[in-house]
Amino acid sequence: MKRVVLVLLLAGLAWAWHERQALADFPGILSAYSAKEYCSCRFVMGFAETYCRGYVQQYLPLSLLEEDGARRMVTAEGLGRRNQAAWQGVREGCRLLP
Amino acid sequence: MKALLLALSMTAAPAWAEDWPSAQWPVDNAVIDWQAVDTYAFAPRAAERGGIRTDALLIIRDGRILHERYTEPTRVDTPHLTWSVSKGVLATVMGVAYGEGRFKLDDPAARYYPALQRHPGLRLIDLLHWASGLAWQEDYEYAPLKSSVVAMLYTRGRADMAAYTAAMPAVSAPGTQFAYSSGDSNLLAASLRGMLDPARYADYPWQALFTPLGIKSAVWERDGAGTYVGSSYLYLDARDLARIGLLMQRDGRWREGRLLPAEWVAFNRTLFSAAQPVPGEANPGGHWWLNQPLPGQPAPWPDAPTDTFAALGHWGQALYVLPSRKLVIVRYADDRDASFSHNELLKRVLAAVAGEGA
Repeated sequence: MKRVVLVLLLAGLAWAWHERQALADFPGILSAYSAKEYCSCRFVMGFAETYCRGYVQQYLPLSLLEEDGARRMVTAEGLGRRNQAAWQGVREGCRLLP
Repeated sequence: MKALLLALSMTAAPAWAEDWPSAQWPVDNAVIDWQAVDTYAFAPRAAERGGIRTDALLIIRDGRILHERYTEPTRVDTPHLTWSVSKGVLATVMGVAYGEGRFKLDDPAARYYPALQRHPGLRLIDLLHWASGLAWQEDYEYAPLKSSVVAMLYTRGRADMAAYTAAMPAVSAPGTQFAYSSGDSNLLAASLRGMLDPARYADYPWQALFTPLGIKSAVWERDGAGTYVGSSYLYLDARDLARIGLLMQRDGRWREGRLLPAEWVAFNRTLFSAAQPVPGEANPGGHWWLNQPLPGQPAPWPDAPTDTFAALGHWGQALYVLPSRKLVIVRYADDRDASFSHNELLKRVLAAVAGEGA
């Protein structure tokens, strides 16, 4: 039994090592997606706040989704990561900030 | 006799008798029963974001609006996200550059985008066929961990999407295998940048395509390096996207002039010979999707004419062009599941048009 657990643990670690880049990136997806697509929903497509909150909603919850209407900037936080997107111009729309 | 004269006068009608949109689209007031189309496309929306959720449906026949309907909050003047319909429009912008003699299909992509120098055999035609041979996983929310497109748009690739794609290892020889990749489209966007004077790139989609077509609603977002996200981030209102459809329906002609070489549109509409059939999925042409069947296979959308071609995007976005029926159809949507069928929509539109006046 102990041996089975050990083998499974090693296999899990090997998989995690193999996928280390994807696993490291994963927590950032939720807040980046939400910040970018919410920014475009509001400031490019011109939809209302309530609609855009529903539009970007995923299975995993955000801890923060906030817009600064005057600067047309959006901040999203989830899975311990924070991302911001901002409107760049009439033709340029929104972009994630570095 | 009257009928014969009428037929003669129609065939002899000069080109200026064609309808084209100016600031507004002309309207066709034909009496057509759209109930079966609207029942399908605009079913009541469930609370859980399931089912067919059409935001806009616009049907143009021979340059005139035949039917148009929106779901709030999308309106006639909403620049709606087109997702991967952007790819077809990018190809159309490149068609103008092709007509200006800026590149040949067989040119190595590295000539215009030096980051591809590790892949000297990769040609622009391979990128247009989504056949770069570079490793890619095209999945969105269903497999975010492994998705190259999610990493490109939101994490590792967002600063420079073409550079992110160019750094992928080659898994097959260029031009030998179709593998749908948003990365390939962004390599095209970066190649286009390399063909132009740096100061002209930002304005080029407008100068080359949008302004001549009278498109005023376009927004095209860029990555951190300033390259257009040619794969995904073009926004247009439905009537403006239909202008691109009409240009394609009429083989690249626009009013009295020609915006795209006829051979470019013919390339867009030619099947990529190395494509493999996927049931129900349109076949790849030159950065557009075709209903033309692969050898020995049925047409992907059996109820639509085989000359139907389309630009298709995530969550149900679509621009269909049916040259033999002189139809252009724009559909914007927020489909969050796979219940929508291109064939079913086209079948119902064609049945409605066939029943005109009934």
